[in-house]
Parts: sequence; C-alpha cells; structure tokens
Amino acid sequence: MTAALDHLAPAAPTRRFRLADPSMILWIVMIAILVFLIASPMVRLVVSSFQDPETGRLTIANYIEAYGRARHLQALWNTLVFGSGVAVLACLFGVPLAWAISRTDMPAKGFIRLMVFGAFIIPPYLGAIGWILLAGPNAGWLNKVWIALTGADHGIFNVYSMTGLIVVVAVTSFPYVFVFTSGALDLVSSEMEDAANILGAGTIRTTFRITLPLVLPAIVGGLIISFLEAIALFGAPALIALPARFQVVSTQLWQFFEYPVRVEQAAAYAMPLLLITIFMFWLQRTLLGRRGYTTVSGKGGERRVTRLGPWRWVMLGYALFVCALSVFLPMLVLTQAAFAKAWGRGFSLDNLSLQNFRYLLFEQTQAQQAIINTFVYSGITAFAAIGLSLAIAYVVTRKLVPWSNVLAFLCMAPFVIPGIVLAIGFYAAYAPPPLALYGTGTILVLAYTTRFLPIAYTSSAAGMRSVNPEMEEAVRILGGGRLTAIRRVLAPLLKRNLAGAWILVFIPAARELSSAIFLVGPNTRVISVMLFDLSEEGNFEVLSALGMILLVTTLVIAAIGFKAIGRDFMVRNA
Amino acid sequence: MSLSRRDILKSGSALALGTALGTHGARARDMTAREKELYELARKEGEVTWYTAHSNDTTAQALGRDFEAAFPGIKANVVRTTAQVAYQRLTQEQRAGAMQVDVFSSTDIGHYVALKEKNLLEKYAPDNANKLIEVYKNYDPDGFFTVTSAGLIGISYNTEKLKEADAPKNWPDLLDAKWKDKIALGHPGFSGYVGTWVVSLKKLYGWDFFEKLAKNNPQIGRSINDTVTMLNAGERIVAGSGPNGTAMESAAKGNPLAMIYPPDGSVLIIAPSGIPKGVKHPNAAKLFMEYLLTPEASKIWVEHFNESMRPEVKPLGGAKSAADVKTIRPSVEEITKGIPEVIKQWRDTFGV
Amino acid sequence: MSKLLLRGIEKRYGEVAAVAGLDLELREGEFVSLLGPSGCGKTTTLRMIAGFIEPTAGTIEMNGQVLSSPSGALPPEKRQMSMIFQSYAVWPNMTVGENVAFGLELRKLPREDIRRRVGEILEVVHMGHLAARYPAELSGGQQQRVALARAIVIQPQVLLLDEPLSNLDANLREEMRFEIRRLHDEFRITTVYVTHDQAEAMVTSDRIAVMNLGRIEQVADPHTLYNRPKTRFVAGFIGRTNFIEGNAGNGQIAFGSFALPALEGAPASGKVTVSVRPQSMRLSRAQGANGRPQVAVTIAERAYLGEFWDYVVTPADSAMKLRVTTPPLEIYQVGESAWLAFDPNQMTPIA
Repeated sequence: MTAALDHLAPAAPTRRFRLADPSMILWIVMIAILVFLIASPMVRLVVSSFQDPETGRLTIANYIEAYGRARHLQALWNTLVFGSGVAVLACLFGVPLAWAISRTDMPAKGFIRLMVFGAFIIPPYLGAIGWILLAGPNAGWLNKVWIALTGADHGIFNVYSMTGLIVVVAVTSFPYVFVFTSGALDLVSSEMEDAANILGAGTIRTTFRITLPLVLPAIVGGLIISFLEAIALFGAPALIALPARFQVVSTQLWQFFEYPVRVEQAAAYAMPLLLITIFMFWLQRTLLGRRGYTTVSGKGGERRVTRLGPWRWVMLGYALFVCALSVFLPMLVLTQAAFAKAWGRGFSLDNLSLQNFRYLLFEQTQAQQAIINTFVYSGITAFAAIGLSLAIAYVVTRKLVPWSNVLAFLCMAPFVIPGIVLAIGFYAAYAPPPLALYGTGTILVLAYTTRFLPIAYTSSAAGMRSVNPEMEEAVRILGGGRLTAIRRVLAPLLKRNLAGAWILVFIPAARELSSAIFLVGPNTRVISVMLFDLSEEGNFEVLSALGMILLVTTLVIAAIGFKAIGRDFMVRNA
Repeated sequence: MSLSRRDILKSGSALALGTALGTHGARARDMTAREKELYELARKEGEVTWYTAHSNDTTAQALGRDFEAAFPGIKANVVRTTAQVAYQRLTQEQRAGAMQVDVFSSTDIGHYVALKEKNLLEKYAPDNANKLIEVYKNYDPDGFFTVTSAGLIGISYNTEKLKEADAPKNWPDLLDAKWKDKIALGHPGFSGYVGTWVVSLKKLYGWDFFEKLAKNNPQIGRSINDTVTMLNAGERIVAGSGPNGTAMESAAKGNPLAMIYPPDGSVLIIAPSGIPKGVKHPNAAKLFMEYLLTPEASKIWVEHFNESMRPEVKPLGGAKSAADVKTIRPSVEEITKGIPEVIKQWRDTFGV
Repeated sequence: MSKLLLRGIEKRYGEVAAVAGLDLELREGEFVSLLGPSGCGKTTTLRMIAGFIEPTAGTIEMNGQVLSSPSGALPPEKRQMSMIFQSYAVWPNMTVGENVAFGLELRKLPREDIRRRVGEILEVVHMGHLAARYPAELSGGQQQRVALARAIVIQPQVLLLDEPLSNLDANLREEMRFEIRRLHDEFRITTVYVTHDQAEAMVTSDRIAVMNLGRIEQVADPHTLYNRPKTRFVAGFIGRTNFIEGNAGNGQIAFGSFALPALEGAPASGKVTVSVRPQSMRLSRAQGANGRPQVAVTIAERAYLGEFWDYVVTPADSAMKLRVTTPPLEIYQVGESAWLAFDPNQMTPIA
C-alpha cells in the first residue's frame, strides 16, 4: 500500500513554495479585478470632480458651478427630506410586520411573508407608475372612487407631491427593514423576554423595553439602507417629482448629463451623496458599536410566540394594509393597464386586450432583445458577483495576503455608493478609450457586479465563516491543493448559501435602473431603461405590460430558486 | 454570441410577424438608383440604429419595420426618446468615442446647428430630398441635415370633460384662472417640440405668458406626448402644448380628444435628421435617410397623423395639415439660440 | 535515522511566543503524544508539522529532508501526511465511502484499487456496512472512525491527531483510545497525537511529551513520566500528587516535625521539593508497619469517592496538609489520629 505515494515526494523548501502555489495567481487576479471594479471608478469620480473638462487641470470650478444655483441646493435639501421620510415610513411598515411574523401568533404569516417578498421584487419605478394610476389627483382610481362615494369634486390623494413620492418609495423599500429586523428577531431567545416577564413586565412593555431594543442595530441598519436606497433612486423621482415640480439630487444629476454633458460637474454634485452615505455608516457604528448585542449574534435558543388574543386580527389588518399599499393595489392597476386598450376606460370586457403584449413581443423592434438582455446580464452578474465575492471571502478568511481586511472593505464599499454615482464613476472611467466600453453589455455587467457585490460578499463571507476551516485542511493534508478544496468541498458545502445569494443578486440586477440609465446603448437596452423611455411618452398600457413581463419572469426564476433551496433563505442571508 | 442571438430573434420575430400580422410583408418596391446602390453597400453593414424624437414609439416602430421590409437583411434598431435625451446620448457617445447611433432625428434644430459648427455631422444630401414638398426643401444649403418630418402643435382638450364652446380658442386663453389645475404641458428640457413651442409663444407674448401660465399650476410631463396621456386619463382637461399627430391618432382610436388650431397660429415644427460623424454603419444610415423621404414613409407619417413630406401623399380625410391652418415657425437661428435660454427660464419659472 | 525531527522550533505572534524553542525526535513507527494544558503550544506545534503554520525559527525534517524552515515551508498537500481533526472534518457532502476514497483519488490510483482499499479499511474500523451513508446520518463515534479510516487509508508517512476524542462522551472516549492504539499496532504509522487528557496519552502513546508555555518539560514513556516526573509541572499535570518541601542534610531530609531518609537523585543539602502520590502512602491505626518511615497524623477532611477514600491529613505539630487515598473499607473519622507510612521508592525529588 505504500508504492502509490512515491510521486508526492517532497522537495527542498525555499521561498518558491508560496509563489509556486498555483492558486496564488488566481487570488492576485481576483484582487486586481476588485480594484478595477471599485477603486478605479471611485478615484476617477473624485479626481474628475476637481478637473477642468477641457484642460484636465485642477480646479474647483465644477463645485462652484454645481452648487452655485439655489435650485441645486434646494434639490439637495429635498433629497434629505425625501430620504428621511422614506426611512421613517419604511420602519413604520417593516418593523411591526417583522415583529408580528417572527414573534406573534398573527394569522396568515406565510401569506404576508410572501407579499413582502412580492414588494421586494417590484421595482420602485413600477410601483410609482402603479401609484400614478392609483393616486393621480384627478384620474387616479382611488380618487375616482372617493369622488364617486362622496360626491366631492376633487380627489384627496395626490401622488405628485413630496408625500406621494415618500409613500411610493417607502412601500417598495420597507422589505429591507423587514428582512433586517426579522432576521435579528429570529435570533433573540424567548428567555430574554421571560426574564422581563418574571420581573413583572407585560407583553407590550417587554416588547418595547427588551425585544425591540435588542434588535435595534438591525432596525437602524434597515433604516439606513432604506435611506440610502431612496436618495440613490432615479426612476421613481423622475416619474413623480418632475410633475410635482421639485427636483432631487438624482434627477438633478441627470440634468448634468443633458447637452452639454458635464460629467465633471455631475461628479462634484454627487459628492454629497457619497459623504452622506459614509456619514450614515459612521453614525451607525458609533451609535451602536459600544453596546454589546451579543445576545443577538449568539445562538437562537428557544423561541415562543407571543399570544396577541383578539389583537392578532388588528395586527393582520395592519399587515394587509401595508401589503395593499405595496402589492395589491399597484399590481391590480398595473395588471388592468397591461391588459387594457386604454387604462382610463376602466375594468370592462371590451377594454380587454392582448395588444400591448403582442406589440411588445412581436412588433416593437427592441423589446425582445431588452427582455433577453435583462435576464442574460442579471444572470451573468449574479454568477460574476458570487464568483468574485467567494474568492475574496476565501482570501480574507484565510488571510492569504497581508491587509486582507482592506479587500473585505472594498467588497462592501459599493454599498455606500449610490447606484447613480457608481454609474457616473463607471462612465468616467471605462466609457472612453482605451477600454471604450460605452454601449457594450460588458460595462453593464461590470457596473451591476460592482453594485451588488456587497450582497454577494455578505452571503459568501457568512457562508465561509460557517464552514470549519478543518474541512478544508482535511483536503490539503490528504494531498489536495486549495483549489481542489474549494471545488470539492467548500463550494458543495456552500451550495445553498450561494444559490440564495444568486437570487438575492439576480432580482435587484434584473430591475436595476439607476446605474443602467447612463450606461446602456441601443443594443444593450434592458427592461428597466425601456420602461423609463416608455414612461417618457406616457404610454402606460405598454409600459405596464412590459413591467408584467419583468415581474413574472423574475418570479418564475425566484420560484425555481425557492424550490431548489427552501424558502426561508431570504431571512437567513440578510 | 450576440450575432447569433440576434439572428435567432430576428427570424423568430419575422416568423411571428408574418403569421400574426402579415401587413407590410414582402411588398415589392421600386428603388431609386441611389437606393439600390446604397442597399448593396448597406447590406454588408447589416443594421442601422435610429435615435428619433420625431414621433411617438408606435409611429417610429412602424417606420422601422417598414424599412426592414423594404430593405431585407438590414435590421433597424429604433430608439424612440425625447429630443434632449437623444442628443444627450449622442454627445455621450461622441465623448466616449463609442458611436452607437447611425441616424439622429431630433426635433430641436439647434442640435444640428451645434453639431455642424463643431464639424460633428457627416455631409449627406439625400437624392429623395429633391422630391419633397417645397417648404421642406433645402433646409440646410450645405447638406449636413435634411428635413424628414414635421408636425403641428395646437391646443388639445378632452371632449368628455369639456364642450367645444367652453374650450380655449387661442393661446392667451390658457392664462384664464378657470384652467387652474387643468392644464397639461410637456417639458422643453426633454422635448424639442415643446422647446420650439415655448420659443414661439415667447416670441408672440413675451416670457410673461409663462409666468402667468405657471400660476395655473399646469402638470408638467416630459415628452409632448405625455399631455395626450394625461388628457385621455382625465387627469387634465386641456393640453397647452397639444401635438397634432399623437392627439389625432389617439382620437382615431376612440379616445375623447379634439384639437384647436389657435388663430394666432399653430406652431409648425420642422424636424430634420442627420448622420453624425464616425457612425458604424454609414451606408445604412444614408439609406435610412433616403427611406425617410420616400412616399412609403410619408404614408406611414400620414397614417399616424404627422405631416407628409411628399406632395403625392395627401393627408387622410378629416385631419388638418399645415396647409390648412395658420402656422407660426421661429427661424433656425431663433430656435438655436432660444431653446437653451428658455430651458433655463422654464426651470426658474416652473421649478423643474 | 529519525523519521521526524523538530529542531529548535519556534512560533512567535508578535511579542508572544506560542512555541518557544522545541526539540522532538520521532523514530519510525513511534507513537508520541503532545500533552499539556490549553495554550501550551501543542496544537501550534502539530499544525507546524502539518504545514498549516510556518515556524519563525527552527526546522522540521522528515526522512532527513527539511519540510519547514523560516525561509519557506512545503505546503500541507505535499507532505504525505494525514491528520485527524478535533471536528473530525468529515465532509458532509460526500458519503462515507467517498470521504475515505478522496485521498486515494488524489493519488490517481486505479478505480478498482481504490474500491478495494476503501472496503478493506472500512472493515478495519468496523464501518463497512455504512459506506453509502452520509456523515449527517452517523453518530459522533462513527464519524470519528470515518476520519480515522480516511487518514490511514493513504498510508501516510506521519499521522497527526489533534484532540480527536475531545468531542466524544466519556464512555466512547475510553473505547476510542484503545481503538486508536489498536490501529497503530496494526499499521505502525509514525504518529503525533495532541491531547490535554493524560489518560488518553498514557493509553495510546509509546512516549509522551509534556508541554508547558511553549516548551517541552519532559519526554518519556508513560511509566517513567508518572513515577519519575522531572519537574513540578509534570508531576502536577500527570496524576494527582502532594508537593512537600524540606531541607536536605546529614543523609536525610527534614520536613519540620518529621524527617525522612535521603532520596536518590535529590541534592545532598539545601531546600528540596518532593512529589508524593496520594496512593503511595499508607494510613494505619497501628505504628511500625514493615520498616517504612512513619509520621503521626490527624484526619482533617475526608470524602468518599466509591473506588477509594480521599483523606486530607495533617502531621502532628505541622501545618502541612497531605492527600492520602485508602481502599473503601479503611474508614477513619475526621479528628481521629493515625499513622502515615511513606514509601521512599515512590517519592520523587523535583527540580
């Protein structure tokens, strides 16, 4: 039994060992890609904000131009109001639902959870269109119903307002708060609550004094994500803020791309978004960093549901109300419009038509390609983001290179870069020669990969930490290299994690508008951009039909994923 | 990969079109000598990308499909968007050195003047340009751009919510306080049609007109076609910038719309097309320019209630064309200088 | 020639030395344990042998070839060793058979060969009937047997075990000790075994290296180690003991109120510390048993542990406390007086 081992005879040790490790080349390549994707566009963005567009010399003229107008400053202020409003409202929607589903005996939990996932899939701009159809001040369905019921001559809802914009965006972004909060709640042991009960605290007191404070970091995390998502959004504000006659930073940034294109001013104007984001994360760390929340990160322990008695129906009512705002109502009117000849003519049989779908699928020269582009790019993005993040997570957890924590930071950095800013950075860095990637699918995939890398990295790093390093060492001591260990053991062990991460990257990539809008060319249009172009001429019927195609296809792909890996992945990975 | 995918797509859609619609299919066509010559060259290029703000998406797509039917083997990528967005993409591409567009059809003449000044346009005078209605001929004597479409802007209104007798008759009627919260407009920062409309009305009545109009709290969309949607929906009742083509086409579908042609003059928009420097499919671009000036293209324009370019194609019964009403039209210079100026004024007055 | 040779091995993390200058030599087929409390550097040493950690000083040689030195280290996959981990590290995505076959597949053995060898080794560890199972369907002990089979089947040059039994319950742990020794007797693979459990080390090992604070205190066979500990640490760590301090001189050692004859290996004069195992002393009611040195004591505390009595006694006129064990039927009351007899052959002076 010894003869078989001869070819593994050891050689003399020298410095060469470490370099000769073939996997080392792979790590270096991955790190280079990371720098290429993240550091380079961001550096370009900051540098170009200080550059004269013609001469390339250092100047602060861009900042003077960008901030020299009252309108531009007003837009900044509007953005802050908008973002804060969305964050607060998203918490009011998300936290009670998370608590009800995680800790109480509210009925129909599975259904509500499904609806929250539905809200996660609906892109904000599509929700906005739904709400334009619902709450247009004169023609919106809700207002029509109101007028019919009360005989009033005016509707009561006006989507074309700051409040309207905040509500519309909050109903699509509360799933972030929900996912963060319920993930944390699932880890709080009931013993924590029992300890308060035994001291004489009632259910409500316990919930507000013990349970919710314990998950405060998660709530704040969700709050910050909602804020950041909101201020980086482009589609919904363009649809609603413009007719409501106010600007936010993202729509103002868009104007810098009008003729004459002023990338440098746009870069200068994007800086506050970047600074706000960095500030928010710093704030979160200092506010919450010092207190110990080890109970939350520890083991689950036993969990029991809180009995709400008759109040559980009230809770369900609230949950259904949130679902109505975020899913039922918008989807109802969007479906109606998608199958209508003219949406204004209402729900009647003779208004029913498949013409919008036929137009999109067979007559429109670009819709087919846009649909295929969307799912091809999102699919490739999901694979690329996961491949890259897995490799980096490996390098970081195994500390294969010095300062590996810098790599982890780089992977998470796009998290704090609003999509629209990222797109401008990508445009500045890679659209012009020598790479000349403008109008190619590559630049979209690269931008998407960068944008959603933090999602993939969070999943990969968590998965990596969950695998005992001895699993890999067992491979190596038996004669397998690192790549063998990854291929034969790590990847199979992380299969579920990675599939979950794949879906979590795929869904937002499929609906991504903010970064795509600056980077698409005529042959690389994606559904989101096409929806935006269609909305420019108010063609809501065709637009709704295309939105349905996007939603249904995404749902089918997500459903396949759910079936493959079990349904609660969304909570665990967040 | 993209090539094969596109081929599959194309055959798929052609098949579907053939069976489902079978309209403009394999109609035999007389090509002019120039068209034949260009077609031979263009076939090797295989496709043409058209950025157009000349019409709504439906019309633009109909033209694209008709072009593909007329010149088999050349795929037409039709990107319909507003004038300023189209121009923004074009300049973005020129800056990035990655041209995607082949034919550029803006509704803002200023774009062509600027491009021509910077030597960013390919010189091409289409053969068919000599056969146009007189008023559209020789728009640019140097041959850098050619008129390929025209349309009227008047006032449109929702006939269900408003009787003809009560509708505004002339532009200044829009300033009446009774139209508060009832008017829909497009945005000059997006739409070339709206830009030209603003320049024309500013010339007639001064900027004061818009200051007063703002007091009526009009709803501002982006494209001029937005106003049609708003009227159809009943969201607004009167379109201050009503596009004749889109409104009449929509009315023909059964929507409750009607046009008013103000006695002070409907705004006539003359919209050219041109070929930017450095395009990837120069011959296909030239062929497409020729196509836009054929009687067949004009027939499609007319079917969609835009102006005919060719004298032999008459407007459909019932629709008014530029020949029937009083029109006003700013000069090229007025538009070129005027639009950037009014966009700024607009933003200050209307806040967006 | 020695099979495995560690020379002056040192591993520093910044200022802290996890392993501080360690020498160890293993003969072909020898089973050596690294025994010590947690943090003594035994696992670090094992992982340096495996190649997962590079030493900051010293060299590791196998068959006369240098594997590790501060200038470079052969990666683990090139060392022809195998290792059994604390967590077993049985891959849950592969069946028992696939787990065991893995190392052979890496060596590109013919398929038929692999099948035969896997079958054989699984029979040896009594797991033949479970070859198609997944690890999640196995008990902890069964997983441990899979890990053993997987490590042994490739006939490694050196087998490394890192506290392999620490996750098992007490009964199983005892059974597996003998199993590991049996496998070693059968295959004679040179083995390094890391544990903090002295019983485990004593059952399995030819020699034990007791480690403390990154150094080896003593290397010896289990019997020597127990009966002739060289340092206070070793004596205290291996089994229970009493340390009594006295002054040597005049051919005897004085312990305050009593004195004993001088011990072999102890210095002729000056302070001396002596290790006395509790079971090496005899407690009796009568004086004068077979000529051993005796001291009068009082019973201070007692506890009954079933297998024996555990008494704490105090010699007359002394503050010294000594632990003594007696068989279950030798019963003394607290406060009772008795005689305590020492056996000089079982007393070891400590350096």
